[in-house]
Amino acid sequence: MLRFEHVSMSYGSQTILHDLNFEIDEGQFAVFIGPSGCGKTTTLKMINRLIQPDSGHIYLNGQDIAATDRYELRRHIGYVIQQIGLFPNMTVAQNICVVPKLLKYPKEKNEQLVRDMLAMVDMPYEKYAHKYPSELSGGQQQRIGILRALAASPPIVLMDEPFSALDPMTRRSLQLEIKNLQQRLNKTIIFVTHDMEEALDLADVIVFMDKGRIVQMAPPEEMLEHPATEQVREFLGKHLPASAPADMTAADFMRTGIITVGQDRGIHECVSRMQHHNVDTLLVVDDQKRYQGTVSIADIRLTGHVVKTIGPLVRCTTPTVMASDNAKDCFDQLISSGFPYLVVLNEDQTVAGIITKTSMASAMAEHLWG
Amino acid sequence: MKIDLSAILHAVLIHLGYTLFSVSIGFVLGVALGILLTRTPKLSKYILPVLSVLNTIPGIVFIGVLFLYLGRQPATVLTALSVYAMFPVLKNTFTGLNEVDDQYKEAARGCGMNHFQRLMLVELPLAMPTIIGGLRIATVYTVSWAVVAAMIGLGGLGDFIYKGVSSNNNALILQGAIPAALLAFVLGTLVDILQRHVVPRGLRKRGDEG
Repeated sequence: MLRFEHVSMSYGSQTILHDLNFEIDEGQFAVFIGPSGCGKTTTLKMINRLIQPDSGHIYLNGQDIAATDRYELRRHIGYVIQQIGLFPNMTVAQNICVVPKLLKYPKEKNEQLVRDMLAMVDMPYEKYAHKYPSELSGGQQQRIGILRALAASPPIVLMDEPFSALDPMTRRSLQLEIKNLQQRLNKTIIFVTHDMEEALDLADVIVFMDKGRIVQMAPPEEMLEHPATEQVREFLGKHLPASAPADMTAADFMRTGIITVGQDRGIHECVSRMQHHNVDTLLVVDDQKRYQGTVSIADIRLTGHVVKTIGPLVRCTTPTVMASDNAKDCFDQLISSGFPYLVVLNEDQTVAGIITKTSMASAMAEHLWG
Repeated sequence: MKIDLSAILHAVLIHLGYTLFSVSIGFVLGVALGILLTRTPKLSKYILPVLSVLNTIPGIVFIGVLFLYLGRQPATVLTALSVYAMFPVLKNTFTGLNEVDDQYKEAARGCGMNHFQRLMLVELPLAMPTIIGGLRIATVYTVSWAVVAAMIGLGGLGDFIYKGVSSNNNALILQGAIPAALLAFVLGTLVDILQRHVVPRGLRKRGDEG
């Protein structure tokens, strides 16, 4: 369907594309992704000859596009851009008919065409056909932008970050619609985005580019399982399958920023600190910040009037674990000990944090669902 | 002091003739040159400053110089007025076309429009409000510049004004000045009406529809 052969391009001394070779099959949804400046948009715009390569050949259905009339070529390739670019001087119906008119379709067919097109995106003809773009919401505008690209039934549609200017809700519904349309109409779609989630949701094949080269070209599942480079892995980020829970340590599950108090501090200060932070227990540390034990409000009430500092009231009954301990062991210990929390210590015996059932649950949730 | 209505009417018609003719020529030239200049950005970098310097030469000087070459004939006045009417149209056409947002140009290219189609279907309609704004300036100014036609004795409302000034006759001055002011007002209003008809509905701000 679409084939790039040794396509290169430079701008001044800067090379934009290095010897690009790839092939996209008919009916595929190909998503180009990569950091900004990686050449993905340039690649896209070469397909409808908005940008000319310095060398190499691009074949569309076996024909070298450099040998075709570029206006004729563009009329047979759908084009959707981020800024939408509906012509504000034309109605919705006129915008949809731009390419059919350029192709000199019989005029009497245009109304039916507009009806069919609007029906595909659930926008009633009577209500929308004669509105102007400025009277539509962003999402509706881009729907019309897509219809304009599809109106002359091009076999291939180019989409340059078409949804990135829309709010997340609208983006989501348009993504579903375009995937639906693509499958129903069996279009080949070349789609540029910087949003990995979008790429994973829509693509049959993802083309990851960086610095004018293709880093990896693979279906989403394969890219998730075997990211080719660290950069691809980084882009996949939270979408990567969760690392094995066996690798996790107490440090991944603990709550940090715990209130501590020195063992030589006075009862009064201790109580006001508890009140201030709304807790009933404080972790006690020595002058080197090493963990000594805990002091609870109950003990202070009971015997607080006979001592000046909290030193004598410190208990060491709360179980402690090391930050590097296995998370599952910590969890077992938390459950079996019956204590409401575990104290997590660093190598040097200073307090790293605490593990509670809540901190465990939220860490689990974050790990699972991102 | 009797007011010779038929003389005034005659002068108004001559004045109107000068104005309409020169504004039409100036408009066509201005739009054409404006389009040309937007297509040749390298050239326009040099031509535009030259034009704006020319624009600052007082009409009276220009018409005087032309008079030396072309003599005392309507062509002298019409040439001068057309050139002056051209400037605002040219400038606004150039600005209007350059201000067309890239997204529309890109979309037009992507749809497969050639240069001419892009110009006619997208760029000119979008620049139209600015271009007509230039036409309005040109029209109103030309009415007042046409007064200088009388300087070389070619009639129009300027006749009354020059005669009035030289004979210290205020009534005569007003006889020329008031119709000239009215003419400017009427023509300006006509351009405003035209503006409403040529600006695509989708470009009008909400509120001034209907």
